[in-house]
Amino acid sequence: MLAYTLRRIAQAVPILLLVSLISFGIMQLVPGDPAAVLAGPNATPDELIKLRQTLGLDKSLLSQIMIFYGNLFQGDLGYSIILGEPVLKVVLERSPISISLALYSLALTVILGLSIGVIAAMKHNRWIDQAAMTFALIGVSVPNFWLGLVMIVLFSVHLGWLPTGGYVPFFEDPVGWFLAATMPALSLAMMQIGLLARLTRSTMLEVLGQDYIRTARAKGASEPRVIIKHAMSNVLIPVVTVLGMILSVLLSGSVIVETIFAVPGIGALLGNAILGRDYPMIQGGLIFVAAVLLILNIVVDVLYAWLDPRVRVQ
Amino acid sequence: MTHRNSKNRLRGLLVAGAMAVAAGPAHAELCGQVGGDLVLGMEAKLGTLDQHVNAANATRNVAMNIFETLMTRDENMAPILDLAESLDVSEDKLSYTFKLRPGVKFHNGKPLTSADVAASFDRYNRIGVDRSALGSVDRWETPDDATFVIFLKEPQASFLESISASTVPIVIVPSEQASAEATRLEPIGTGPFQLEEFVADSHVKLKRYEDYKPNETLDAMSGFAGRKQACVDTVTFRTLAEPGARLAALETGEVHIVEDVPTLSKERLVGNEDIVQTQLKHAALWLNYPNLSEPPTDNLKVRQAIQAAMNLDEIMDAMSDGSYSLNPSFQFPGQTYYTEAGSQYYNQNDPEKAKALLKEAGYNGEAVKLLTTRDIPRLYTAAVVMSEQLKAVGINAELVVLDWPTALGMSVNETEGWNFFFTGWITVTAQGGAQSLRNLADPSNVHKPKDNKSDAEFMKQFQILSTSPDLEERKAAFAKAQERVFEQVMAIPFGVTPKNQATRANVKGYVPFFNTRVSNVWLAE
Amino acid sequence: MSHLEISNNPSALTSLRRFLGGRRVRRLIRHRSFMIGLWLCLFVTAIAIFAPIISSVDPNKMAIRSRFQPPSLEFLLGTDNLGRDLFSRVAWGARLSLAIGLGVVLLNAVFGVLLGALAGYFRRLDGILMRLSDALMAFPSVLLAIGIAAAMGASAMTAVISLAVVYIPRTARILRASVLQVNELEFVNAARAAGAGDFHILRRHILPNCMAPLVVQLSFVFAYAILSEAVLSFLGLGAAPTDPSWGIMISEGRSYIREAPWMTIIPGMAIAITVLGLNLLGDGLRDVLDPRVKMEH
Repeated sequence: MLAYTLRRIAQAVPILLLVSLISFGIMQLVPGDPAAVLAGPNATPDELIKLRQTLGLDKSLLSQIMIFYGNLFQGDLGYSIILGEPVLKVVLERSPISISLALYSLALTVILGLSIGVIAAMKHNRWIDQAAMTFALIGVSVPNFWLGLVMIVLFSVHLGWLPTGGYVPFFEDPVGWFLAATMPALSLAMMQIGLLARLTRSTMLEVLGQDYIRTARAKGASEPRVIIKHAMSNVLIPVVTVLGMILSVLLSGSVIVETIFAVPGIGALLGNAILGRDYPMIQGGLIFVAAVLLILNIVVDVLYAWLDPRVRVQ
Repeated sequence: MTHRNSKNRLRGLLVAGAMAVAAGPAHAELCGQVGGDLVLGMEAKLGTLDQHVNAANATRNVAMNIFETLMTRDENMAPILDLAESLDVSEDKLSYTFKLRPGVKFHNGKPLTSADVAASFDRYNRIGVDRSALGSVDRWETPDDATFVIFLKEPQASFLESISASTVPIVIVPSEQASAEATRLEPIGTGPFQLEEFVADSHVKLKRYEDYKPNETLDAMSGFAGRKQACVDTVTFRTLAEPGARLAALETGEVHIVEDVPTLSKERLVGNEDIVQTQLKHAALWLNYPNLSEPPTDNLKVRQAIQAAMNLDEIMDAMSDGSYSLNPSFQFPGQTYYTEAGSQYYNQNDPEKAKALLKEAGYNGEAVKLLTTRDIPRLYTAAVVMSEQLKAVGINAELVVLDWPTALGMSVNETEGWNFFFTGWITVTAQGGAQSLRNLADPSNVHKPKDNKSDAEFMKQFQILSTSPDLEERKAAFAKAQERVFEQVMAIPFGVTPKNQATRANVKGYVPFFNTRVSNVWLAE
Repeated sequence: MSHLEISNNPSALTSLRRFLGGRRVRRLIRHRSFMIGLWLCLFVTAIAIFAPIISSVDPNKMAIRSRFQPPSLEFLLGTDNLGRDLFSRVAWGARLSLAIGLGVVLLNAVFGVLLGALAGYFRRLDGILMRLSDALMAFPSVLLAIGIAAAMGASAMTAVISLAVVYIPRTARILRASVLQVNELEFVNAARAAGAGDFHILRRHILPNCMAPLVVQLSFVFAYAILSEAVLSFLGLGAAPTDPSWGIMISEGRSYIREAPWMTIIPGMAIAITVLGLNLLGDGLRDVLDPRVKMEH
């Protein structure tokens, strides 16, 4: 077990190195410069040149890379050009916001996805099944940013139920957090809800056809008991295995949703960093996010291996 | 403003201020009510609050409440003292002696002294975006704690205009910040508000600075200067980039003031009693300029043909959804230097003349590349409409659409790949005649003339404009320079859009300006 | 977006032959969601192909005077802020979206098969190729696409390439897994024993038996590509701004979402209908070609 875990961690190191190289490679090709962003639309050429010197952007790419890796090995991800703060500090500040949003989304996904899937399977081929699966399909097919825009108009403007966006720290005001995070979490979760509902339904149908369920029924077990005790435990196995994947999708798929709802999370941070050419922020932020996602994957794999010893041997 | 005038005027302010101080309680109350959290819905994202290196308007909106300057601009964008209570200019116009207002303290509790001023000027001179404003300075000295003297190498008529410029102002920070690297300035100033919390992409929260020492030489605010008071306990600047969400937040009462209300929404909001609309009529000048190094716009006749072909009414109408005014000038109406010299070349909308000029120029279907960005939708729309107008007279117009950093970078650094660059001048225009034409003069030359030498006749007038001590002479030079810009088609101004804002009805004391001011604004119950 | 993965299964072995045999075709025709998906896709494709005929107006033709017209008989889907006809723009947008989606699918088919087959068959290449794909997959996919698109500048080609880079590692993984499985089967060993060369075995024996999961995967890549292209275009990094792209139309419409909601709603629905069609199609293909495949993402 320990050997397996260590092996997975060892595999992650070269991947992270590749990740940093790829992001440097992309950034080398990106035209435009952060000085133009800082200087604003009124900037004169003279001002831009001075600002570039000030920010160290006139240094050669090689020396910029050397500086970056030199600092990286000391655990320093550098300074954001646009924000003027240490990358690590900003990234650490923003992560909890995205994580809380992702967890909320995950909760919505699990609760809605599972129940829709189970209900659909129980009412197989009835109208409720059809309605549930239509809903799931629409969830998988609708662009999430569009859904976000439409929800703002519907729930904030016309109905006035929810704020238009922003972020309220959970520990300061849990109710405010809940209200502000609901629309972004729902836009993020919609596709995952659809996918999970479909997965749950098909697994459930398969399980319900198994002999032992029929046996349980034959023995006179009530239908809820059959579903909860016998069927659900089997349905949950494939579901648990996709949760890790869903969480990483939710964590990384938030660039556009965070932007639309003005949620200051890691997705909006890095999206803006790319659009603003904030090289140190892009570099450091991508490495951080990739590391988090890799760790998450390792945790899921190790858990899975623990549950299913056959995997370890592979 | 002549030297003599400025001196008299500044002395006058001092006298008025002294009287005001003597009058004491007779001041009109600035705040009808104190307290509350004022929330603003801002369009643009915020970067660093280091005002020495950040020229973005969004940054200025926030930073102007934290930091103050020796001199800044008044309601008419004329230079005015702020942290200094008096200024004496020597007879030889080589030394400028500023006396600091007494009792001013930084947010960290430290009293403001001339050492802080000198340190701030040192830092600005090292990394400030507009450090060329200090180009004619020989040195500065601090004879005592309250006195700051600047010595020039040679007299410069526009010196006070330069150091009072409000785009990237020389804000005064504590002396220990002098060595802070660019973008890493700690936001500690002397302003009426201090920083409480900054979460980029989300919001900035400022709170009242209790020990603020207002500038009592004026009875109220004027431009960026004057008597200010933090009526509200806190101000929250929220970034709401989605236009729909921004306005919705105003309508639901989540925010109190929003920037940039779309024209269509204005009409809808008229009936809403909870919302008051405000307008600064002349807020932004939209224009483009050609690249004089890239064919076919290196050919004057081609440029004149393009100028003749353009229907600026249509362009402005499309880009502003109908909320604009035509403006044949590089200044706003009402500004000192405003003139319509050269307006015969403006908004000609004469396709026949354009075709004739093209023929004369021997135009051969070369691509005319319009460089623009979608990040600023108005610039994109202007380019789209212009390309249709050019195509209508047989010009092979092409759009080159890049994101803003790339487009601006290309227009500055490249003399190839583009023929027209679209932009909007807000502060550039507001800062006055010389500033508004500076981009077309040596060494800036945004229009990329051959050998980086701008038009000789234009430069002659520009020199007079920037150096003459006589206002009438400067105004005449501005008019001639502007006419030359039209003749040579060095830039094409389209028109002016207003700054449309809206506030909740319980927001009192709000006066629209180029930047959104929150001092002296209070919330009624 | 999402990981596209379909667990491997032995039935892939014979699916292509069965598929070509006609029995599967009959099952597909009887498959309700497949047929609905097929009709939706054909509908969108027809609009894309006949866009120049059914839309009498140039999609970029401005008419400032008739801007912000709601849907009516004169303007079927209304007009936008520059008075451009939304019906024309949506129709031409279908062209663009399908072309970009198809481009991504083709690149995925070519490079996904190439890299997946190399990694699965030549074990020495496996380590490096899979580490590279791990690295690409370690990036949040939207951020990776945005980064590549920012480097290349907005154009339809940019959208195709950046999305292809995002999805190829995922396609390659699926193909690699199938190749690994098929490679273990007896008839492959028999061919090898008979002295067949590596490329011959790959081409003749292995790849044809990996087609079913690939076809299913590609149908979902198509759907995701259309969704992701809309994201990129919405951010100004996808299709060239002058193209009538659905993502750009939503982005332009959102400023007017209160007063002219049709500008935002209509292109969004166009995306949803197209993606829905592709998803239904993919579901049907999966049910019929790969009946025991688990639905994952």
